[in-house]
Amino acid sequence: MRNLSSNTTQLNLDFEVLDTAAIPLSDEQINQAVELSNTIRNSSRQWQTYINALALFAFEQWLKERNNSLTINREHCTVLQPPLANAIASVANLQVGEFKLCLISTSSLSDMEVPLSKIVVDLPEYVPHFYVLIEVLEEQESAVVSNFLSYQQLVENQVRENLQAEEDWNYQIPLSWFENNLDRLLLYLRCLEPDVITLPDVKSRTQLLSTMQSELVALLPQLQSPESELWEVLTWEQGIAVLTNLELLNWVYNSQQADNSSIKTSLKDLLKLLTQPALNVGRWLWDELDELGQQFSWVLLPSLTPTAAMRSPTEEFQAIITQLQNRGLEIPSQARGAYHDLLLAGIPLRLYAVTWHILSESDPHLWTLLLVLGTASHDALPLRLKLRVSDQTSILLEQETNQEQGDSYLFTRVVGGWNEKFLVSVSLMDGIELSLPPFAFYPGRSL
Amino acid sequence: MGAALRYWRLVRIDTAGKRQIKEIKPAKEFFADTFPEYTVESDVNDTEVQRLLLELSRDAPADRCLLAERCLLCFISWQIEQVCLQLEANFGNVHGFSCTDLLPYVLDDDGRLQPASSYQCLSRKVLQSFDSAQSSLTNWTTTRVKQDPALNKFLLELGVYLISDWAILNDTRPKQLERILREFHSLTVSEIEYFSKLLESYHLIYRVQRLQQRSLGIRGKCSPPTTQQLEEIALKLESQIGQILKSETVMAQLQNLASRLRQYRIHARGGALPTVSRDAMDREGISAPQVTNSEENEDNQAEFLQLYRSQFLVCLEQALALVIGSRIRQLQSKKADKAKTFLAALQLIYCQQLPMTAIAKQVGLRAQDAVTRLLKLKEFRADVQQQLMLILRDRVLVLAQNYFNLERIQILEHQIASALDEQIAMVVEEADKKSRTTKNSLFADQICRYIDKINK
Repeated sequence: MRNLSSNTTQLNLDFEVLDTAAIPLSDEQINQAVELSNTIRNSSRQWQTYINALALFAFEQWLKERNNSLTINREHCTVLQPPLANAIASVANLQVGEFKLCLISTSSLSDMEVPLSKIVVDLPEYVPHFYVLIEVLEEQESAVVSNFLSYQQLVENQVRENLQAEEDWNYQIPLSWFENNLDRLLLYLRCLEPDVITLPDVKSRTQLLSTMQSELVALLPQLQSPESELWEVLTWEQGIAVLTNLELLNWVYNSQQADNSSIKTSLKDLLKLLTQPALNVGRWLWDELDELGQQFSWVLLPSLTPTAAMRSPTEEFQAIITQLQNRGLEIPSQARGAYHDLLLAGIPLRLYAVTWHILSESDPHLWTLLLVLGTASHDALPLRLKLRVSDQTSILLEQETNQEQGDSYLFTRVVGGWNEKFLVSVSLMDGIELSLPPFAFYPGRSL
Repeated sequence: MGAALRYWRLVRIDTAGKRQIKEIKPAKEFFADTFPEYTVESDVNDTEVQRLLLELSRDAPADRCLLAERCLLCFISWQIEQVCLQLEANFGNVHGFSCTDLLPYVLDDDGRLQPASSYQCLSRKVLQSFDSAQSSLTNWTTTRVKQDPALNKFLLELGVYLISDWAILNDTRPKQLERILREFHSLTVSEIEYFSKLLESYHLIYRVQRLQQRSLGIRGKCSPPTTQQLEEIALKLESQIGQILKSETVMAQLQNLASRLRQYRIHARGGALPTVSRDAMDREGISAPQVTNSEENEDNQAEFLQLYRSQFLVCLEQALALVIGSRIRQLQSKKADKAKTFLAALQLIYCQQLPMTAIAKQVGLRAQDAVTRLLKLKEFRADVQQQLMLILRDRVLVLAQNYFNLERIQILEHQIASALDEQIAMVVEEADKKSRTTKNSLFADQICRYIDKINK
């Protein structure tokens, strides 16, 4: 009776042998991957992030088991930064020793082709020395490091075969281009000098961003819907401008996280911050105006010592400062102020800005900007006048004149690190708006 | 066609876990009564018999209905055993299990006419979910046994797995799906479009919930979509194609799609299981020379050996110490005794030249497969090789000049690899032939000396 019936041939093929090189994933690694993916709103990119994180953890483990002298640095690794993981379908910018690696998680369906995004092939910011394929067996909670390809080889093959990317910004790379002898990858990582594989130079993208500013303001809000893809909305050129700019990727990511009505405004502010030269208020402390300050007719005020009362900006400024100090705001004597007159729909306005270096134990590189908006004629402010301050991440605050009280000033104060800039805009209800060059603080003499 | 007695004799396991055949008298009498044309010895037409039994199990008066069901359950038990035997035949030897190990997971029918409690044995589940319009009882039983979660978990621990339909669907990209359906299955454009939308809707619902389950700590296989998930998938699909589908239809179509992808997967993987054991493959891998033995190569090798012979042994020992040491630390961090097992196995294969199956027995591992997994000899040799190269590079300045391009380093690697490989291939071949008369190789000598040293 123990003869084997013939109708079980199907069974022969269904069960598979787990590769002896398969790396089991621990509960902790799976939990971490799930957690990372939870930050992504788009469901397919969420899954991809989960699989990519598993690929990363498996690869790290593989490398550790094979070699304990190579250091892995995942600080810049894209999959661990949600705004980047949200835009890039592979694990780019993983550092192993002096090499840059890009991990590609492959499907269990063993295709003859591997999709490789233009982002990791054509953008120097993300181009690695080696692409490594990792087959993630999600259900079996394991992964196999399977093949690799050097950037040099990729480019040589690409030129020879004249391989073009598809409309979704993916190249379909033949699997045969990859090498499956992983010992050789280890050999390269251990023994090769990194400059043997020449990577393209990273260029400055500021010019590109400036020319595309208005297009991006119009297009990027379409990405607010989590289901939209960059390639569906942007041309590749526009894509480059966004993908090479962490602040813009952050903006896209943040805009997908919650409904936000002021999304367009924050984008406009962000692009101005990224493209316009900034006024270095740090130099005020040296009793100097930088070129931009002179160009925009900022007027530096004397330092905060009691002076003879005159009906002048200085006098007015002192009065304001005293008033603020009475309200409990501490302004150190090193603080320096300046003012700038501006016209908004024919109304002469005056903006006072005061800055100082904040001494803090937790972060020694903090500065503050105190803004006071009044009229040049000392009248009450017009109704519905708004003062808005943005930084690289979002609109920080928006103040509006109070209809009943007939305020004569709008006050606000922001704090930032030395690498942060603030954009100040003044507007009236009927869409009349004016932004000043961004404020930056750099304690040296140049920015 | 098969023997009639499978309809009243039940395959089961006793409390001691031993296989047993239990004859169920009432079932035997019922069968003889219903099918007088068959004797105990005769072959029966399964299709016909099962069709009638099924009818009876649904429409007959209560007692006859239970008996008809019992006959079918007996039949199912034989088929369950067949599947386990087949698994044993395919994987048992290399992965260290027998049919007897598998039976307790799937053969849990006690032979009662009626189930005693709310617990349902596998054969009853098979019977209840069976749809004669879709499949034969034999095939359906096979399918259900294959998918049994407990059985799968046990097999996975041994390195054998069955990827589920749901994992296959999770793992399929839309573009890939299109290509497979177009090129491999030659479906029409509209069929492909429909399946793409089905997969998209499935992804939207199922993957998100899989992640939620994962975050709740639920491990293991992907479970089939629940009725609620199917309804949600149907709803998503409706918004795409403007057609309302029943849950059962969605389920059937998802399974259809998965089975198409599975067929492709099997095809892409070469259409058959690797029949050679991993052990044998490993051996092949090294005994085949990595470099074609042209004269030039031999010259290079000779030159290389001459230059570095004095350094060679010292460096080899260092490399071994580094690689073995690092392996041991890795293993210790997992489980302390694993490192000991590793050293013991390494000693047995290189110093006593035992075959893997014998080593498995000696160190208390289940099978050859487990030894392969633990030793990872191929990787071990590569690591030693590369480590040796690194050490040699530091010692021999001339060598450093060769490290400035990919080609040179490959040539150099080949030189060292072939020098080492010659040694290594020899010892493994010896181990394979269980020959103890041949003199040990340099590589094995060094390993044994090193192990002796750390065991002191």
